[in-house]
Amino acid sequence: GLLLVVLLVSNMLLTKEGVTSLPICPNGSVNCQLSLGELFERAVKLSHYIHLLSTEIFNEFDERYAQGRDFIARAVNGCHTASLTTPEDKEQAQQTHHEDLLNLILGVLRSWNDPLIHLASEVQRIKEAPDTILWKAVEIEEKNKRLLEGIQKIIGRFHSGEIGNEVYSQWEGLPSLQLADEDSRLFAFYTLLHCFRRDSNKIDSYLRLLKCRLIHNNNC
Amino acid sequence: GQSYPGKPKIIRCRSLEKETFSCWWKPGSDGGSPTNYTLFYSKDSEEKIYECPDYRTSGPNSCYFDKKHTNPWTTYNITVMATNEIGSNSSDPQYVDVTSIVQPDAPANLSLEMKPSASIMYLWAKWSPPPLADVSSNSHVYHYELRLKPEEKEEWETISLGEQTEYKVIIRQAGVKYVVQVRCMLDLGEWSEWSSARCIQIPKGESPPEKPTIIKCRSPEKETFTCWWKPGSDGGHPTNYTLLYSKEGEQQIYECPDYRTAGPNSCYFDKKHTSFWTIYNITVRATNEMGSNVSDPRYVDVTYIVQPDPPVNVTLELKKPINRKTYLVLTWSPPPLADIRSGWLTLEYELRLKPEEGEEWETVFVGQQTQYKMFSLNPGKKYIIQIHCKADHYGLWSEWSPEYYIEIPTDFRVRDMVVWIVVGVLSSLVCLIMSWTMVLKGYRMIAFFLPPVPGPRIKGIDTHLLETGKSEELLSALGCHGFPPTSDCEELLIEYLEVEDSEDQQLMPSHDKGHTSKNAKMIPKETSSDSIRGSCDSRSLLAQKGRESRALPSTLQTQDVRDVQENKGGKKTCKMHHIASEQETVLFNDDSTKSSTWPAVQLPNNQPPVFAYHSTVDAHKIILNTTNVNIAPVLVENEEKHQSQYPITETVHNNMEKQREMENLLSKTDQPTVRAKQNRPNPRPPFWNPKLMDYVEVHKVRKEEDPSLFLQHKGNRGKTKKSTKEYTKVSTVVDRNFLVLMPDARIQHRPVSPEPATETRQNCQQGQDEKNTFPSEHRRDNSGSDYMDPTSFMPSFK
Repeated sequence: GLLLVVLLVSNMLLTKEGVTSLPICPNGSVNCQLSLGELFERAVKLSHYIHLLSTEIFNEFDERYAQGRDFIARAVNGCHTASLTTPEDKEQAQQTHHEDLLNLILGVLRSWNDPLIHLASEVQRIKEAPDTILWKAVEIEEKNKRLLEGIQKIIGRFHSGEIGNEVYSQWEGLPSLQLADEDSRLFAFYTLLHCFRRDSNKIDSYLRLLKCRLIHNNNC
Repeated sequence: GQSYPGKPKIIRCRSLEKETFSCWWKPGSDGGSPTNYTLFYSKDSEEKIYECPDYRTSGPNSCYFDKKHTNPWTTYNITVMATNEIGSNSSDPQYVDVTSIVQPDAPANLSLEMKPSASIMYLWAKWSPPPLADVSSNSHVYHYELRLKPEEKEEWETISLGEQTEYKVIIRQAGVKYVVQVRCMLDLGEWSEWSSARCIQIPKGESPPEKPTIIKCRSPEKETFTCWWKPGSDGGHPTNYTLLYSKEGEQQIYECPDYRTAGPNSCYFDKKHTSFWTIYNITVRATNEMGSNVSDPRYVDVTYIVQPDPPVNVTLELKKPINRKTYLVLTWSPPPLADIRSGWLTLEYELRLKPEEGEEWETVFVGQQTQYKMFSLNPGKKYIIQIHCKADHYGLWSEWSPEYYIEIPTDFRVRDMVVWIVVGVLSSLVCLIMSWTMVLKGYRMIAFFLPPVPGPRIKGIDTHLLETGKSEELLSALGCHGFPPTSDCEELLIEYLEVEDSEDQQLMPSHDKGHTSKNAKMIPKETSSDSIRGSCDSRSLLAQKGRESRALPSTLQTQDVRDVQENKGGKKTCKMHHIASEQETVLFNDDSTKSSTWPAVQLPNNQPPVFAYHSTVDAHKIILNTTNVNIAPVLVENEEKHQSQYPITETVHNNMEKQREMENLLSKTDQPTVRAKQNRPNPRPPFWNPKLMDYVEVHKVRKEEDPSLFLQHKGNRGKTKKSTKEYTKVSTVVDRNFLVLMPDARIQHRPVSPEPATETRQNCQQGQDEKNTFPSEHRRDNSGSDYMDPTSFMPSFK
């Protein structure tokens, strides 16, 4: 009976998403901290989760509000993070130094801080917005912050640890979310969600590359 | 027979060009003989009647009016007359206004041609005006109308033309058969009928190509991608397809870098040309001699079109560990193109399986690992397994891998078999044994499991005590201080009644009151020579007779025994051994099938009566000689030897009045005597209730009658007609002679009513064989009990 309980509890803990085993710090250690591998593990999990949410929220929005409006054609060239130069394929990404890549990731995440906050608040003004969209918007914004912190931690582990040189893109799209014209307003939301889906995918891909490169020595 | 002809009817009159006209009629019946038809007409209101100028031109049954006879301004009144040998008949007159009946014939000589001009297909239709009988009149101006449609369609396209006799129309649909018709009309009148239809097949090749459509774009490894399109119809000419695209953020339009690698109607984008997180705007253009056509644009972001190839190197291995169930280990490898190592692509796997004959697949999500263990497969079955994979959690599932088969061997371990065999043998043995025991000792088994329900005659338990809840008395009533029974005659229901005669003893009913306890018991006292002993043996009373001596206690035998016996005559009765010289006690035991009860008769004696008592025995009636009786002893034999037998005393309820009476009687008489039954030559002693004797029923005692206690058989209670019978508790036995009955508070003041002798008679039905034995040593303290508890006096009988 007791054994069963122990097994169950341990099973629960192990399979729970996002829960990883705590690092075992030896007694008496002064500077006990998470390993880099741990940090990357968590970052990858988080970025995957964020991308999942962003995909879902985009699909739901598309299904519900964008049918027949051909927003996709208009959304081309509509992302505010396009100004950030990021690797566009595997080769480019593999050739980018990990610190640079991390800084880029940080830049993208920072660029999304502001828009996500406004997204969460403005999406509530859409008439009859389903609850799933509402809570996902809030969740995304929260998790993005977490990921930002995580990436900052990771960057801090590298010797240069230069956080000052971050480049990020300012978002000016708040007025478009508040347009009176419904079609324009919905298009603004669509663009925002489309762009975030893309960027979260980008970040997810970069982090996986980095994790396999740095932690598993390209042998995932 | 012949008759005059039927009436003809003018069907129609028509003018082709307003200058001539014709009329047609329909003949009626000809009446059996040849009929002539003549047409007569008049003009306007003139009276002159003309005949038809021309019967031939327009055919049979017609009349043709040529130019000379036709005046557009005239109204003609036309009739047709049919004449035969018998007689004639005229049609109804028809008024004809020439201008109103004008309808030209349809145009003639309709011909169709295809005329390609530049890149456009023309359909060229030509016709001529309707022919006229009078060729000379050519001054007619006809207006024409043309209609056409593709053969399969229903709706006509109608085109109004002027006076032209030809027409060209642009055809857009190649490869279709067209149907064309024309009709004409003069200034006035009606349209002609449509000409007969002409068809023409438009050759296919004579049109620009249809718009192609882009089917799908896929990337197998997230590094390259391919797009496929579907061509439309080529318009009959060889058509070229070109794919053009532009990327997000760029103005330039590129053409597909590779049309070949991925097959026909495809475009392959290699690594150099593939960018991620960029939207491609892709279109396909089809071109032939006739023209070109462009597909709808397709927006593609390569990140979201990743669909890997199925996993490869699938191996299925059966593992057979010792003492454990066989299980299956599946391993596979990711598709060769997928770059897992660098982390650029992450694959998740899913497998499905079903038994070979099964219909539904069972799907198992495996995650990112490349091996899986299956434990839940059934031995002896063949399974089909397939695996597929998906990229990056959100991509598209690959195709299923080819089917892999595995057969699970039957896991037939010897040890299992042995266990089952042993179990089977054992259980069958057990069943055999059980059934045999059932057969042999069926009854006993049944009795063991379902013992017969005993009646509620528990020796020693006083229900009254139970009711009152006085445990001490209850316990004492159980005979806790009883003496061990001495009788070893199991078959005999032996009760002892010891009644001692004491002349000095008086019944002191008042003393009863001192005994508040309901559980006054008879106080057993030592029997003296005067004690009466009676033995009742229900079963073998007759045999008993020979055993009197045995049944009798050693010291006591009186002539009363004999008396008793005498009186009983043929009846089986308890033998009462009257051991009092003067006392006569009669105990009658009715025949009972069960244990015999015998009433204890107390004789007024110095010695306290000892009452043996059986509660479950048939009730007996005790006839007591009132003179002698101080207390009516009641003896009930208890058939069962359990000490918990129901004491009869407690069931002895007497009518209060009876008791009173008895008491009175007893008190009155100085020397109550218990008249032996022998004094009653009544062949039917009124007392007995041969059945179970639980209660002592005290009947009202008449002066001349002996007070009697009737042991009422429980079972017979229903038989008794008197419902007013009551029982009195015996409060105590005083001085061995007196049975002190408890006054029943309820019936304190009831007048004494004569006890019907019927009652007694009622109960005197069966003799009961009883054998009473008096254990001389039997003493019980019944002080606490209302009831006489023979168990306290007597050994319990089986």
